Amino acid sequence: MPEVILEAVDLKYSYPDGTNALRKVCLQVEKGERLAILGSNGAGKSTLFMQFNGIYRPNSGCIKYQGRDITYSNKALIELRKKVGIVFQDPDSQLFSASVYQDISFGPLNLGLSEEIVAARVKQALIDTETTDLVDKPTHLLSYGQKKRVSIAGVLAMEPEVIIFDEPTAGLDPRHALEFMQLLKKLRDSGKTIIISTHDVDLAYSFSDRIAIMCSGEIIGHGEPSELFLQSDLIQRADLALPWLIEMHSELVKKGWLPPSTPLPKTKEDLLRNIPPKSDQQSA
Amino acid sequence: MINIDCYAYSNNLRTVHPVEKSLFAMSTMVVCLTSTTVITPLIVLAFMAGGIIIRAGIPIRVFLNLMFVPLSFLFISVLTIAFSISTNPSGFWLAQTIKGLTIGIHYPDLITAIHLFLKSLGAVSCLYFLALTTPITEIITVLHKMKVPVIITELMVLIYRFIFVFMETATTIRRAQSSRLGYVSMKSSYRSLSRLFTSLLGKVFVKSQELYNAMAARCYTGEIKVLTKKYPISFRNYILIIVFELPLILLNLLGRS
Repeated sequence: MPEVILEAVDLKYSYPDGTNALRKVCLQVEKGERLAILGSNGAGKSTLFMQFNGIYRPNSGCIKYQGRDITYSNKALIELRKKVGIVFQDPDSQLFSASVYQDISFGPLNLGLSEEIVAARVKQALIDTETTDLVDKPTHLLSYGQKKRVSIAGVLAMEPEVIIFDEPTAGLDPRHALEFMQLLKKLRDSGKTIIISTHDVDLAYSFSDRIAIMCSGEIIGHGEPSELFLQSDLIQRADLALPWLIEMHSELVKKGWLPPSTPLPKTKEDLLRNIPPKSDQQSA
Repeated sequence: MINIDCYAYSNNLRTVHPVEKSLFAMSTMVVCLTSTTVITPLIVLAFMAGGIIIRAGIPIRVFLNLMFVPLSFLFISVLTIAFSISTNPSGFWLAQTIKGLTIGIHYPDLITAIHLFLKSLGAVSCLYFLALTTPITEIITVLHKMKVPVIITELMVLIYRFIFVFMETATTIRRAQSSRLGYVSMKSSYRSLSRLFTSLLGKVFVKSQELYNAMAARCYTGEIKVLTKKYPISFRNYILIIVFELPLILLNLLGRS
């Protein structure tokens, strides 16, 4: 039984204007897993993330970190935020300083670390996000993708156990999106738990170990990507589409190019490998 | 203003310790403002121009354009000092009497005016030296080291950052408006501009809340603590500053006595 690191229990939250953003959300996040939260715009993904970090306080229900309730005292909140880092969608609302270096050092300094350790962590975060050459530039002269990477570095430098990315690839070009995915892979290999929110089904499908689908403030389904995407009614209800890999695979199976026992491909390479060469087809 | 900001990050004196640059600019400004002769401001002006153009590598055109900015204000204020109106025509150095009223220049007033003019230009050039070679973020760090209250330096950090965020937002809104002919006539321009400000105000509130949330997520507890890049301290620069300032201070003292 894998250890549950972060958990939402019967979470309900409505905004002051009366919008019911979360209606009874239950979700368990396992240690070391890659969880993708899929949902259309306004499904409540970002609101849920704010709960995980203790920024919003639920109307009822609770958040548990390693099995313990969050008490929302200042000390408990700082402990939680030490362990759970969040990279916001809009880097402009995350970067508060015009200096890249200062901004990245903000989080680790708040943890009460010594200047030497902070300087070392900032350096490592700069290397991990490939932003070392941006360090002398002011944040307002950076491109969107560069700002995004700096805001990621600001969270990495705090070395949290769980890292939450809100719409991480929105607004990134394909090359930087790919680089970002590689960074995620590296983080996962170092044992971090990663949660991302997205409405990019292809990304969620190839990236994650587990997917949770959100629709108007509720989690309407969760499970392994390959199982979840076979429930087409669920996907439709959440205003999502099928990943192209699955669509292609089922079409190939339907038309007899692949035997029905072929496992679902996880990546483009898997799919291409599954397709047999032409000579085989003729002899069969 | 944006130009100044860009040069602050890309000039040749970028790697010099910000404390050294601030000390140089500020002490020279004080020396210039307390000068008693016309020579000091002229020397200051020449050195600052040299520092900005030759050492920092700022294009001469940029520097001259910047120096022209305060010139119009200066001329007006200097003229009111130099010229006087009086019913008594005696004592004027250069004058014109019309119907019993004499308009003209007293010689000591002229000297005062010229001195004031050069003093102001010299002081302005010191400020430009600092602004063109040192990014605001580093100036804020220097202020922090000088024990300026945290509330002021923190506000400076946030204001400086958000000037650019809001400028970008405003530019985007304006572009969206003009692409729909929002500024086609005087009337529509006024209307579009007022809407721009309204929506900008709304965005200010949203952005500030988002910023607070994002900072809280990184364990913000009410004090913005940041680390600044370390710069090498150069004793040579300190000695140069002393060698430069001392004769000027002596000159000031001699002029006084």
